[in-house]
Amino acid sequence: MAPFRTQHQTNRNAAGGPSLPMMPPIIHSSEGPVMAKADTIDHGVTEAPYERGFSPYDFNGGTTLAIAGPDYAVVAADTRLSSGYEILSRNVSKLHALTDGCVLGSAGCKTDVDQLRSVLDIKQKIYHHNHRKQMSTPSVAQMLGNTLYYKRFFPYYAFNVLGGVDAEGKGAVYSYDAIGSFERTGYSATGSGQAYIIPLLDNVIGHKNRADENRDLPAEEVVEIVKDAFVTAGERDIYTGDAVEIMVITKDGIQTTTFDLKRD
Amino acid sequence: FKFNDGIIVSVDSRSTMGAYIASGTVKKVIEINPFLLGTMAGGAADCSFWERNLGVQCRMYELRNGRRISVAAASKLLANTMNSYRGYGLSMGTMITGWDETGPQLYYVDNDGTRLKGKYFSVGSGSTYAYGVLDSFYRDDLTVEEAIDLGRRAIYHATHRDAYSGGINNLYHVTKEGWKKIHAIDVNDMHYEFAEEKKNSMSS
Repeated sequence: MAPFRTQHQTNRNAAGGPSLPMMPPIIHSSEGPVMAKADTIDHGVTEAPYERGFSPYDFNGGTTLAIAGPDYAVVAADTRLSSGYEILSRNVSKLHALTDGCVLGSAGCKTDVDQLRSVLDIKQKIYHHNHRKQMSTPSVAQMLGNTLYYKRFFPYYAFNVLGGVDAEGKGAVYSYDAIGSFERTGYSATGSGQAYIIPLLDNVIGHKNRADENRDLPAEEVVEIVKDAFVTAGERDIYTGDAVEIMVITKDGIQTTTFDLKRD
Repeated sequence: FKFNDGIIVSVDSRSTMGAYIASGTVKKVIEINPFLLGTMAGGAADCSFWERNLGVQCRMYELRNGRRISVAAASKLLANTMNSYRGYGLSMGTMITGWDETGPQLYYVDNDGTRLKGKYFSVGSGSTYAYGVLDSFYRDDLTVEEAIDLGRRAIYHATHRDAYSGGINNLYHVTKEGWKKIHAIDVNDMHYEFAEEKKNSMSS
């Protein structure tokens, strides 16, 4: 018989003292129903309940980050697409240029990310038709926040980071949560590797807990820092790796480079 | 809190997702318009979206009626919106404050449609600590400096003891002319300032 049934019928723990009666563990449908006593009227479900569930979301992994400089912004994301323990692709872009002046990086559920981008592109196009100019980065930021909030009760499972230059040419980075709360910050990281990268950026870019003098970093140096950050995240996060796509946005446009990472 | 010379609005700036600090620099005071302020507690997106929406509704009122909306009416608009979404899981605890024809006004509005008028409120996870300080030292006739000091001390004590509060204390003063931002002080710096003060008062 299935070993767990005998285990959960005892009310004694290993030390021989009494313990609370254990509930039969709930098994989710992906693990399959347990073949308990098929001859009882409930097919053994009372003894071994299992939960059928369909989740509309999947987590496809990945990490994105963005850093704002005095006259540029750097947005980067890894290019791995995964699902569960599998890697589906090593070469999928998580970055999308919404206008000439801003780039949206999104991690999370790829289908929601793609749909969100579609919606934003359309809204941006309509704005362009109506106002005869491209949307400025702060306007895109607000539009993204509102678009996310309109699906407040069935959210887009997308962790976004928006990087670009504002109307004055200064670098701007906006970080979001899944339902559209956003804030303009100097740097941001989001996705599965967020917790590994942000402390690094807090120290190097935010200059927290450092005694030396703070100085403005040029774009090339920031790109090197970004590469290091992804190497760090790739070491400890299974969903981050393969390659990093780095976009540098200035008032003159967007430049893209790719940097290989470990593929393990 | 409300006092004779206006209203002091004092907030921290920490936003958390579970045990992770998502940001230490959140603007929890939302400038609805130049004479109305709203605070943010609960869900960040819920607060910022609905308070921005309130700003739109206040502007429409102004255009339709040719005068500024009263704080009572503005807070009622928000409370009614919250009431209509009751049961949907919105999370918002906010104080709507401003100076209108009837003087300085302060209303507490939350996600189940509660709307309370009051002289002072403290909202959020660290509210009990802030209430301790506010209750002990609040008076109607505080001077502006005393009031600002009370506002920042209340937030300092809340951030000191509550893990979910911290960052920077943003403080605004609302007067007849509208609101004005007074300061943005790191609570860590306040800690050392008050420690000095305690040491000095002990030795004297």
